[in-house]
Amino acid sequence: MQHAVELEALGEQIASASRFIEKAQEQLSRKIIGQHDVVQRIFIALLVNGHILLEGVPGLAKTLIIRTFAAAMNLKFQRIQFTPDMLPADLIGTMIYNPKDMEFYPRKGPVFANVILADEINRSPAKVQSALLEAMQEHQVTIGSQTFPLQEPFLVLATQNPVEHEGTYILPEAQVDRFMMKVLVDYPSYEEELEIMLQSATTGPDKAVSAVVQPEDIFRARELIDRIYVDQRVQRYIVDLVFASRKPAQYGMASLESMIEYGASPRASIFMLLASKAHAFLQRRAYITPEDVKAIAYDTLRHRIRPGYEAEADNIQSDDIIRQILQHVQVP
Amino acid sequence: MTPAGLIISLVLIVLSVLAPAVSGSLRADTGEAYPGVTVSLKPDTVLVGDRVFLSVRVSHRESETVAIEGIDSVSVNPSVLIGRKESSSKPLPGAGSERFDYELAVFGSGRQAVPPFTVVLRDGAGAVTKRVPFRSANSVYIKALTDSTMHDLRPIRPPQRPSMPLSVLFPFLLSVFGVALLVLLLLFILKRSVRKSAERVDPGQVAQRKLRKLGSRLSGGMPPHECYEELSNIMRAYLENHYRIRALEAVTQEIERDLKKLGVSGLENIMNLLRQADLVKFADSRPDLDESRQSLQKAEEVVRTSHLEKREQMQ
Repeated sequence: MQHAVELEALGEQIASASRFIEKAQEQLSRKIIGQHDVVQRIFIALLVNGHILLEGVPGLAKTLIIRTFAAAMNLKFQRIQFTPDMLPADLIGTMIYNPKDMEFYPRKGPVFANVILADEINRSPAKVQSALLEAMQEHQVTIGSQTFPLQEPFLVLATQNPVEHEGTYILPEAQVDRFMMKVLVDYPSYEEELEIMLQSATTGPDKAVSAVVQPEDIFRARELIDRIYVDQRVQRYIVDLVFASRKPAQYGMASLESMIEYGASPRASIFMLLASKAHAFLQRRAYITPEDVKAIAYDTLRHRIRPGYEAEADNIQSDDIIRQILQHVQVP
Repeated sequence: MTPAGLIISLVLIVLSVLAPAVSGSLRADTGEAYPGVTVSLKPDTVLVGDRVFLSVRVSHRESETVAIEGIDSVSVNPSVLIGRKESSSKPLPGAGSERFDYELAVFGSGRQAVPPFTVVLRDGAGAVTKRVPFRSANSVYIKALTDSTMHDLRPIRPPQRPSMPLSVLFPFLLSVFGVALLVLLLLFILKRSVRKSAERVDPGQVAQRKLRKLGSRLSGGMPPHECYEELSNIMRAYLENHYRIRALEAVTQEIERDLKKLGVSGLENIMNLLRQADLVKFADSRPDLDESRQSLQKAEEVVRTSHLEKREQMQ
């Protein structure tokens, strides 16, 4: 069977350029047990310039995963604990007066890093959340009258605790939509828990993680991802999935019509395509298949589909709606 | 006219003018119709609980005072005295008129008479000069709110008899019921036979027929890459109907997982076919005519083998 010459060449380039993924995964596996899906999603977001909203109960090694990831990828890491008394200046920085030369100088905030862990983002008021979300969108920050570009690659991983909502400022839908993916961090399996316990219950120093990736590797990967082939059938499949979340009756799911308050936005289509490309890259493929789309569908759609009152009354979550959509929309 | 006749006629004229007053005073003097009592009651028909207005007018001498005894809350039971009002006037010199107005809430049911009362006359010193018991002929009709006491209820109509006699109606109903039962039975049989015939359509045969058609279209000049899309659809439909898995809405990986669970033999061949089709559909692969023919042959082989296996299992 004769493949298109371009795709064959691209496939070879991808195979070569994606070697850093293996190296990084090797380093990650020294400290992180399980949570393969979360790690894969972080790779996807980093490769296509997206950001992730992590949701999971405390103690599931969210911070450890991100810290280790940044160390292995040779990226500057900053953890910002969001609190109710936080101000935008605490995040982006402020102008400091120097009495010696009687001038104001910008002092950059913790947002000037490659990997930001915005811990418990919903603990801060809207103005702080907005400051971070603007930085995510624009990749630049303005302090006083000066605008500073953020370092590339720039990846924000914001966490939310799903069980404590008292005293929190729930992220508005418009802001949640800016996150490429919402990843649910689940408990480890029995065997994983056993391994975690044995590995962590020691008073000795932690295992060191080496920086095995250079930012150039990431930029090279991004270039290749942009060239990944997307057939029209797959393009239409993505749009079908997004449209099915808006008009389920047109796709033979009339019962879902009353379950969805509003469906996924056009950002969903864009991010689904980008994430599918990154997923194909991680599989060392130069083209997307519907498998890639299905693999990232839950994470890219769950925060973009809002279940209606009827769904809430029946305890139907957005994941249940996505499952139905995936089961009904015909795969090309 | 003589003077005597003139005097007599003048006396008669004066007498005729003053007749009512004189007759009143005369009645008072005689004691037969004294004091003059007039009773009125309005309205004459009320609902239970409604109010009626009783008016008693007593004509008497100017030197006397009048009181009514007997109309109070206790005496008018089952009615209730709501209010009373007195007014007096002097219609003629030497004569007096007293008016007593009572407001009563009436209860009970049926025709109720005005309660009896006593007219008491007193002189200037307050001593009773006369007590006249009085019973009025006036009455009020009290309509009850409940059906039990209503007299104007319409008589209960006897049940309507059917226009058709029972001897005709019963067989008619029975025949309608029978026809409905027959229709339902026919529908049930029809549905069952349709289902059975649908089950009898072998997905293997359908797939083989479609594959043969696709082969002839390929020979007729169909582009090989287009053939793969149809081949993939035929295989997925076959797998869905043959193994009862969700294949049309599933990706190749999911189909592989489901078939592995079922322990399908020849899984590798099926998956190779689907993967080849995926490469053509999603990776812009361009197979040549021979490759397409080989794939079709392999597909027919997969269908035939799995079909035979199932038949053996059933036997």
